[in-house]
This record gives sequence, C-alpha cells and structure tokens, in this order.
Amino acid sequence: MKKLKIGFYGITGCAGCQLSVIFEEDELLDIINLIEIQAWPFIKELNYDKKFDYIFMEGLVADNEDKGILLKLRANTRFMVALGACAHTGCIPAYRHFTLKENYAHLLYEKKENIKDIDPNPIDSFVKVDYIIPGCPPDKNEIRSFIKDIVRDIIPKPYNNPVCVECKRNNNSCLLDNKKPCLGPITRGGCNSVCTNNGLECWGCRGPTQQGHKMQS
Amino acid sequence: MNLVVYILKKDVMYDFLLDIKNKFETYVPIKKDITRFKILDNPKDIDFSENSYFPVKEHFFRKKEVIFQFNGSNFLPVELKSKNKIFFGLRRCDLNAIKNQDFIFMKQHNDPYYTSQRKKAVLIGYHCTKALNKYCFCESMNLTDYYDLMLFDKTNYFLVDAKTEKGENLIRKYKKYFKKSNYKISDKDTYIKTRKINKKDISKFYDHKDWDKGINLCLSCSACTEMCPTCYCHEIHDNTEINNPRNAKRIRSWSSCQLKEFTSVAENHTFRDTKEARFKHRIYHQLQYFKERNKINLCTGCGRCITGCPTKIDWVKIINEMR
Ligand code: SF4
Ligand code: SF4
Ligand code: SF4
Ligand code: SF4
Ligand code: SF4
Repeated sequence: MKKLKIGFYGITGCAGCQLSVIFEEDELLDIINLIEIQAWPFIKELNYDKKFDYIFMEGLVADNEDKGILLKLRANTRFMVALGACAHTGCIPAYRHFTLKENYAHLLYEKKENIKDIDPNPIDSFVKVDYIIPGCPPDKNEIRSFIKDIVRDIIPKPYNNPVCVECKRNNNSCLLDNKKPCLGPITRGGCNSVCTNNGLECWGCRGPTQQGHKMQS
Repeated sequence: MNLVVYILKKDVMYDFLLDIKNKFETYVPIKKDITRFKILDNPKDIDFSENSYFPVKEHFFRKKEVIFQFNGSNFLPVELKSKNKIFFGLRRCDLNAIKNQDFIFMKQHNDPYYTSQRKKAVLIGYHCTKALNKYCFCESMNLTDYYDLMLFDKTNYFLVDAKTEKGENLIRKYKKYFKKSNYKISDKDTYIKTRKINKKDISKFYDHKDWDKGINLCLSCSACTEMCPTCYCHEIHDNTEINNPRNAKRIRSWSSCQLKEFTSVAENHTFRDTKEARFKHRIYHQLQYFKERNKINLCTGCGRCITGCPTKIDWVKIINEMR
C-alpha cells in the first residue's frame, strides 16, 4: 500500500501544536512508519511542497505572507487539517475582533512593511478546511487517532462532548457555583478538562460544541 | 424492618470505622469544596451535612473500562479485579439508585463487570432527617428499604437496622461496637419531608409548551446525566493498536442521551437531533419510559441533575406548574 504523503506546516502561531505531534514520544516512530512525511519545515531540512494527501496546518493568517503560503499549500493538497486553536478559531490574535482598534493599535508593527498586519483570522476564512483537530494545544491522542484512521481509510469522527462531561467525570466542583465564569458547557471537550481540573475557567479554546445551539450573532 | 435493631454510639462509631478500615476500603462523605465519597483516613472528617455531590455509581458501573481484548481472531477476556469496599453514609435516594442499577445490570442483564464490583461492596446508609437541599424530592419517588445496614441519627447515637445477610454478618463480626435494642423503627424515623412532584405520569404532556422553560436554558452539556446515580447509558468502541489493527481493546464508557452523537447512525442520521428531543427524552426516560417497561421509576429524586446543571433547570418545578 502506498503511504499517504503528509506535510506539517506552521504559519503565525507558537509552534506548540506542531510540538504536540512530536510529543507522541511513545508512538512517534510507529506513526512515522505509517506515513510519508514529505514536508515539515519546523524539523526537516529538505521539504517537497507538492502533491500532498494531507497537510496539517498550524497557526492563523496574520499577514500576507501567511495568506500566500496557505493558498499555495491548499492548492497542493487533497485534504487540509486545521491543527490547533489558532488555525481553528484564530485564538488569541483574533480576539481583537472583540475590542476597538484604539485598544490594540499601539501594539501593531508599523515599521516593517513585510510583516504588515492584516485582519487576523482562522484558516477557514481563506481556504476549505476538511478536518479540525482543536485545542490549545491539541491533544496528542486525538492527533494519533486521526492519523490512525486516515491511514486505514476510516472516516475520522470528531470528538464532540462538551467539556462539562469530562469535568464532571473528573469529579470537580463546578466553577459556576463559585460565581466564576466557565465556557465548559458549550465548548467541545477532548482536553480532559485540564483547565477546570486546576480551578481555571474554561475559556473555550477548543471552539463551540456542535450540539445544536442556536448561536446569536 | 427487623425486630432487633442495634445501637452504635457516635464516639464508638469512630473506633468501628478505624477497625473496618483495616479489612475494607472504606468510603465516607468528606466535605472540601464539595462533599465527595473518599477513602477514610480520619473518621473525624466525616460530614453528613449534605449529600455527596457525585453518586458512588462509578465504583460499580465504571466510567471507562476494558471489557475484553482481541488479538487477531483470539478473544482475550479481562481479569475482573475488585476490592472489598464499604460505603458508609449513603442516602436513601442513592441506595435506591443502586437498587435500580442492580436491577439493570444484574437482573435484566448478567453484566460481569458491574457484578464483580458490586458483589463485594457493603452499603451502609445514613437516613436523612430532613430534605437535604431545595432540589431533592425523594418523598414522591416511592423509595424502598435497600441497604445492608441503615443508620438513623439520634443525636448521640445511631440506631442501626440490618437488612441483609451481609449487614448482619458485619455486625456479628464487629459486635463489640454494637448494642442490641428493642426499639421499633417506625414511620416517624423513616419519613423524610421533601418537596413533591405533583404528577409522575407525564404521558399526556409531551407537547406541553412549558417544556420550553427548560429547553431554552438547556445547553446539551450532559452535566445532568453525568451526575445522575441511575443513568446507565454507555458507548462501546474498539481501540486498535497502531501497528496492528487486528489487535484491540474493546472499551465501554459512559455516554448520555443529551449528546447528539448518542443517537447518530450511519449516513449521519441522528434520531434525536434537536435539543428539544434530547431534553425531553431524559425526563421521560427517568419518569415514564423506564416505568412503563419495568414498573419502577428510574429517577429516585436526588436532585443532582438540577444542582449540577449549569443553568439550574428545575424540571420538577416545570412539571409541577404544568396545567
Ligand atoms: S466547571 Fe465549567 S466545565 Fe466544569 S462542570 Fe462547571 S461549567 Fe462545566
Ligand atoms: S478546559 Fe477549555 S480552555 Fe482549557 S483546554 Fe479545555 S477547552 Fe481549552
Ligand atoms: S434524574 Fe435527577 S433527580 Fe432523578 S435520580 Fe437522576 S439525578 Fe437524581
Ligand atoms: S437515556 Fe438518558 S436519562 Fe435515560 S439512563 Fe440514559 S442517559 Fe440517563
Ligand atoms: S445539565 Fe442542564 S444544561 Fe446541561 S444538558 Fe442537562 S439540563 Fe441541559
């Protein structure tokens, strides 16, 4: 059987999501055996950027260079996977959509033309995304089972339980009862409620669940 | 109720617990941020002021367990390991919830995983003297006596009633802590006044508009079913080895009717696709459907699905107000 040709790429982001792939210490070599890593600029010297089956894309589009890379790679792959919260939702950089420009204008790079800022957005604002592996950072089990499924021609099934499921299963008390905010009920889990386990509110890094809420715009 | 009851003095209770702790993994209610059943360390930590936030269900019906493995075409059973456990301080609603789960997993089905855990557990109740919080409604739920031992709190001492062989044996084995008494336990010891649910037959109300009061606040988060002592729904999946997909573990884990995926089948069809359908299903299963089939209410009125709900949907109040 021919191995799937895979690429791992990052645009604006912290590289943590790509590290989550590498942090599969126990099974990394097994995974690498199943696929052909055609490009991974973060850790590889030689990278062929043509004709991929899957590209795992970390990061969001924050400047024109990001956009150019993304559009070009999309044209060269059968499937595009958003890896992690920045690619999926735009994460921290895109939060500025919720505030006025005067609150962040002084933080923008203005002198360097080549990093001239554009409106920060998740990758699906620019290209078709076939699958999302959510999370800040994404969970390594989820990455592993996704790769396991695609190499075996199984349609991967996104995990869609709300964070509350895992939070209750971890026998936590509920932050809402202590008058703290928590987005757990409407956030897609899979993180094993790592934040609320430690008394921190869930800020929704894995995006909304698809449980059929009517979102108010 | 037995003719002979026993007296266990409160200061003696501490010694009794320290003693059984040597032979049994002993779980007692301990209050930190919330009350949880924890392995006993210091008996003085026991706190009966509220019910445990979570039921003890997870000890018998495990959150996630490997039910067998296979290796090519070979079936590899798992070894069923369990410990002798004592649960000290279970409330009547939760004992009845265990009764319902025993019925489901041991009578209706012969579930070896549940049975292996449950068989070795001793259930010691602590009888409520009043409603524990504003949400519970056990008085309406036709609860029965289901325990190995039950403690009735009489301020300085407990009256102890034994219901089963297991309970009798425990008293016999630790008889130095117990004194016989000819007190007759009566309704005034066993009555618990709680709020009520004014209709348990809700078959005619399925399309009632008042359900919207709950549905509009429901987030489909499943906190309610996660906390419910009677919910028994689960999913089963195979976790295959990365190098050899013919080797796998078959895993059973909790699931919930509040999740879309619970009724999703091939071709992406979902039977209960809307939040409305899922919300009503939970209430109807707890009050109506299970009873129609099995003659008992599934719900025991503990109120946890309301306490634990992020938007505190009081479905009992909604039902009570339906005209
Ligand atoms: S703390 Fe947050 S995630 Fe946990 S149960 Fe409460 S609302 Fe849900
Ligand atoms: S608890 Fe919420 S914020 Fe924390 S990792 Fe999970 S989804 Fe992200
Ligand atoms: S449905 Fe609610 S009140 Fe009834 S047993 Fe379950 S958690 Fe308790
Ligand atoms: S169908 Fe829903 S309410 Fe009924 S036992 Fe299952 S999870 Fe609980
Ligand atoms: S806990 Fe409340 S909000 Fe969450 S699914 Fe249950 S009823 Fe709906």
